Amino acid sequence: MKDTFRQSMKWFHTWVGLVVGWVLFFMFITGSAGYFYKEITHYMEPERPLINHQLSNSELLDKAQQYMSIHASDVQEWDVFLPSRRDTNLQVGWRHAPKEGESRGKYIKQVLDANTGQQVITRATGGGRSLYRMHYSLHYLETRLSYWIVGFCTMLMLLAVITGVVIHKKIFSDFFTFRAKKGLPGWLDSHNVLSVIALPFHFMITYSGLLFFPFIYMALSVSIQTNEPELNELMDEVYPSSAEVTPANIPAKMQSLSSLYEQTKTIWSDDKLELVEIYAANDINAHIRFSRSVTDITYNPSDEIVFNGVTGERISEPERQYTVSAMIHNGFISLHEGQFSVTIVRWLYFFTGLIGAAMIASGLVLWTTKRKPQQMKKPNGPDFGYRLVEQLNIGTIVGLPIAIASYFYGNRLLPIEMANRAEWEIHLLFISWALLLTYPAYRPKAKAWSEQLHLAAAIFIFMPVLNALTTDKHLGITLSHGDWLYAGFDLTMLAIGLTFAFAGFKFNKSQRNKTSQSKSAKTQRSNIKTTVDNELVLNKENSGAL
Amino acid sequence: MSSLLDKINFTKPRWQVFSRVLAAVFGGYALATAASLFIAQLLIYIIEKNQAIHISIMLTFLIYAGTAIWVFSVTSARQAWVGLLKFNVILLASTWLLMQFTDVTS
Repeated sequence: MKDTFRQSMKWFHTWVGLVVGWVLFFMFITGSAGYFYKEITHYMEPERPLINHQLSNSELLDKAQQYMSIHASDVQEWDVFLPSRRDTNLQVGWRHAPKEGESRGKYIKQVLDANTGQQVITRATGGGRSLYRMHYSLHYLETRLSYWIVGFCTMLMLLAVITGVVIHKKIFSDFFTFRAKKGLPGWLDSHNVLSVIALPFHFMITYSGLLFFPFIYMALSVSIQTNEPELNELMDEVYPSSAEVTPANIPAKMQSLSSLYEQTKTIWSDDKLELVEIYAANDINAHIRFSRSVTDITYNPSDEIVFNGVTGERISEPERQYTVSAMIHNGFISLHEGQFSVTIVRWLYFFTGLIGAAMIASGLVLWTTKRKPQQMKKPNGPDFGYRLVEQLNIGTIVGLPIAIASYFYGNRLLPIEMANRAEWEIHLLFISWALLLTYPAYRPKAKAWSEQLHLAAAIFIFMPVLNALTTDKHLGITLSHGDWLYAGFDLTMLAIGLTFAFAGFKFNKSQRNKTSQSKSAKTQRSNIKTTVDNELVLNKENSGAL
Repeated sequence: MSSLLDKINFTKPRWQVFSRVLAAVFGGYALATAASLFIAQLLIYIIEKNQAIHISIMLTFLIYAGTAIWVFSVTSARQAWVGLLKFNVILLASTWLLMQFTDVTS
């Protein structure tokens, strides 16, 4: 491409990053939020009661079973979600039998009030899950198409990561040279530091991202090598699952969940419990699985105990078996999703995700900063391409966070009875983003940056206030009740808002410096000119005298 | 007519870049697929077939990335296309050869 390998790679890195940078930024931001999708849902359903009971798991199980035998009596698959660190309310779920043309039936999940054992009516919301789903299935597009687009962007991200390493001869010494200057060197160093500081994460998250749908992406190769039954066998090996239970369609009375739980307590010799799954409920084949810790590949077979629901006998299920390749594959997926992580690791994931987003953002800004001096000299103003990149930068880097805040605002402000409410929350996100993408086209760019930064600051800082105005759970209440999920969300919004406020302040300051600098440069230049003129006059006079 | 041809002069840099993009996307995909077939055939000697296919699929993404980088590092687009063609043929031929020694039909 260019004269030397490194120069070619520099060119390649620049363009690969630019082409899909904004989509990648979107994926990194929504993905980072996804590490807290349960906590976000908790916040977006403010009707959930604060925890003020001391009920034991057995009592909760009785209430859940009673509720479901009334409200889901015709359903065969039941789940009970016990209160956990990430989800403090008792919840039940069940899957209806598939309707015609469906491969799986509809899944219903409800929050129960632990004291009354009755359903808590929560507002219709997409919650954290809808936000997280955008990370890999975008939103308005057909799922299969989205997977291809996301895969393509991820591939370019992988290329950007690899070429980014290649073009840096001295990657570690570069890491330690941070020139906190304004302008090009400052942006270049920020980009380098953000990239190197989390390089293993960037590589892992990108490569494992491709491993989510490898059999879709490499369908040609797979179809050459396998036929239909062989492929099914391969899929069972790649994604091992527990055996399915089919109902015998002979009704039978199940034992109470709490009495079976007494048995698990003695086996485990502790009272941890996270999930109870019931298959073929109230059937002679009923299976009940108790899990004390639900994760992913890191699961421990001894964390699960299965009973026959009618006789109460313990059933020894075969453990999920992973082949070596499935272990590697699922290992990468587990690392990507981070389901296994405890709170502090989850925060680490969140912050490294944001570092990734900041890396992309600084790269995009670098592109314009580098071209700015040359573009400003053009007689007809900057090129269309340059202006477009700058507009997309402002509209995405600052606009997207505001749009996500609008999603939360929609959750609080849209009428509760509204039809398609959950869908409108998401429409609101994309409408705000579209507006913020358009706005910079009609403003001087420095003004647009400054205004959107300040808007972002205001909208995030105001979130806890809005929450206090629209719900009965303001920070004072949630903090004193120790509801850290709810309070944590408000505090995080506040922290993000303050960060934007700081960025806005710094930005305005640097703009002021720039204008005063260019002014003083002008006066200096005119001073020099007058001295030179004076000297010339003097010389002339001298030569005349001679 | 000649002016139109002048306008879309295929030796212009932008056409060269376009050609390379096509080479990286489609030529790269073909090469990644061929490489996965080859790796799977190689691995069948030491590991069970399903796992061989599985590992080869996981590795293709790295091969795809390497190919795309290579396409943009050679001096001309023509060289990239010729190289892709060559490697595709070599990989497919070796896969076919390997298949002659294994009983595994695929």
